Amino acid sequence: MNLLLATAQAHTVMPIDGYVYPNEQNFLWSVLIVVYPYVTGLVAGAFIMASLVRVFKVKALEPAYRLALLTALAFLICAPLPLLLHLGHPERCLEVMMTPHFTSPMAMFGFVYAWYIMAVLLLELWFDYRRDLVMWSQQVKGPRGLLYGLMTVGVDDLSPRALRLDEKMCDAITIIGVPSAFLLHGYVGFIFGSVKANPWWGNVLMPVIFIFSAIVSGMALCVALYYFINWVRRQAVNDECVDEMGMFLFYALLVDASVEGLDWLHRLYSAEESIYILKQLAAGKLFYSLLIGQVLLGTLLPLLMLGSTQLFRRQIPMWIRRRFYLVSSLLIVCGVLAMRWNVVIGGQLFSKSLRGFTTYKMELHGQEGWPIAAALMILPFIILYVLMKLFLRPDQPTHEQVHGHQAAPAAGG
Amino acid sequence: MSRFRMPPQILRLVLLTLVIISSYFVLRMFLKPESFGEFGHYRGAALAERAALEPVFAGAKACAECHTEVIEVQDKHEHRRISCESCHGPARAHAQNPDVKTTAFAETRCLRCHAQEPARPITQKQIVATDHYEGKCLECHLPHNPKESPP
Repeated sequence: MNLLLATAQAHTVMPIDGYVYPNEQNFLWSVLIVVYPYVTGLVAGAFIMASLVRVFKVKALEPAYRLALLTALAFLICAPLPLLLHLGHPERCLEVMMTPHFTSPMAMFGFVYAWYIMAVLLLELWFDYRRDLVMWSQQVKGPRGLLYGLMTVGVDDLSPRALRLDEKMCDAITIIGVPSAFLLHGYVGFIFGSVKANPWWGNVLMPVIFIFSAIVSGMALCVALYYFINWVRRQAVNDECVDEMGMFLFYALLVDASVEGLDWLHRLYSAEESIYILKQLAAGKLFYSLLIGQVLLGTLLPLLMLGSTQLFRRQIPMWIRRRFYLVSSLLIVCGVLAMRWNVVIGGQLFSKSLRGFTTYKMELHGQEGWPIAAALMILPFIILYVLMKLFLRPDQPTHEQVHGHQAAPAAGG
Repeated sequence: MSRFRMPPQILRLVLLTLVIISSYFVLRMFLKPESFGEFGHYRGAALAERAALEPVFAGAKACAECHTEVIEVQDKHEHRRISCESCHGPARAHAQNPDVKTTAFAETRCLRCHAQEPARPITQKQIVATDHYEGKCLECHLPHNPKESPP
């Protein structure tokens, strides 16, 4: 009976309104393609957060520096998984590297990804952690000590000159890393922005919108994680750090909201023939996810809360500010997920004929189902937990805490 | 004159990078298909491999050699343009040796053409699978003469 039901459902066409071309009834990009830009955006945003300490020398953010880098790594490890599941045949994934196709932006993802993880994130982490790795490899026994030892690659030079070089390398890599983070996520927006046939996607502002929403989501995630980890560890939150994070989050969100607003303003003013269906889409099929989720809860409310902490910092007591930052960051993290949904799913909900809508229903079973998407969203947190057990332990002092500053300003853990 | 010495951590990294890059090229030597790029951005041998595959379909003429009566009935009704193997599955092995049976006829195959889909011509009979389909099409419809019901 179950087989019968499954067969019948497999042959059931989702409800459509108006005129829809035959090949538009089935969604080609499912919820997994919503998860993919969301996860890469969190990586880029978390890295930009860390770069504020390195490149822009924002000392107040140092307590969250390593957390931001490890968060970026945990999410970057999971970034290709939604694509592997969506495409199927994961055994073929290396083909893209073995027989590269340089004119396909999708095929170039393998190289962008490899560059970002190998040449940026892992290198910066290695240089930042090198002195700690050397120290821990000598102090910690057992497999963990062995792992730290392996990760030193046999270099145990902790002379002031070597430490200064580590700092310089970290700074240089971060400077390369900022455009790389823009490349990683700008590329995702580029893919959507290049689809000329789809007026919801084909827009030159798309890479910029993706980058800014990525920065906002990654920063918001770091703020939320910083609160959560300190709460779990029963540690006091560094008020200066959260104030600073709140300030950067506010300005990033302000720019993001302005760019997205500009996009809509431009669409409304230029009023191309697609504008009628796009307005119907925004007010109808995407009402809850776009107007309520993304605009109201994910943008306006956080802007109001974060803006008030900037304008009335002296009048608003710290305990309220802390709550404002936490609630805003959680709202933003959900709002950007709604934005990814609106872009990916919204772009497939209306017909290229501009005269009809189709319907998307998330599957339960199979590799494109929502439980798999949820698992892919949880997996980075599990990886982050393991990374923190190894590299951000409260009971394991860093080299800096033991020996103090020996070189250029270092990031705290 | 002091000789330049590369800092140890940089030296290790350079060596590690060289190992990674050279392993990529070594791996590529083994993993890149031999005929790749012969004609374009695909395996050249893929064409020959496809051509060398053993055919599995027999074709309508082969069916007509033995099942003349069934085909005569079908030829007079709506399904006359449907190949036998569309519903009964590939039959080359069966045509060569009648003792080998074709794939069992599954009633889910009816849905391939008759499940409702707006892309289909309006003249084609369509059902809403969740309402009408119970996996028992043959109880009411004769595939070779769909207008008739089984006795």
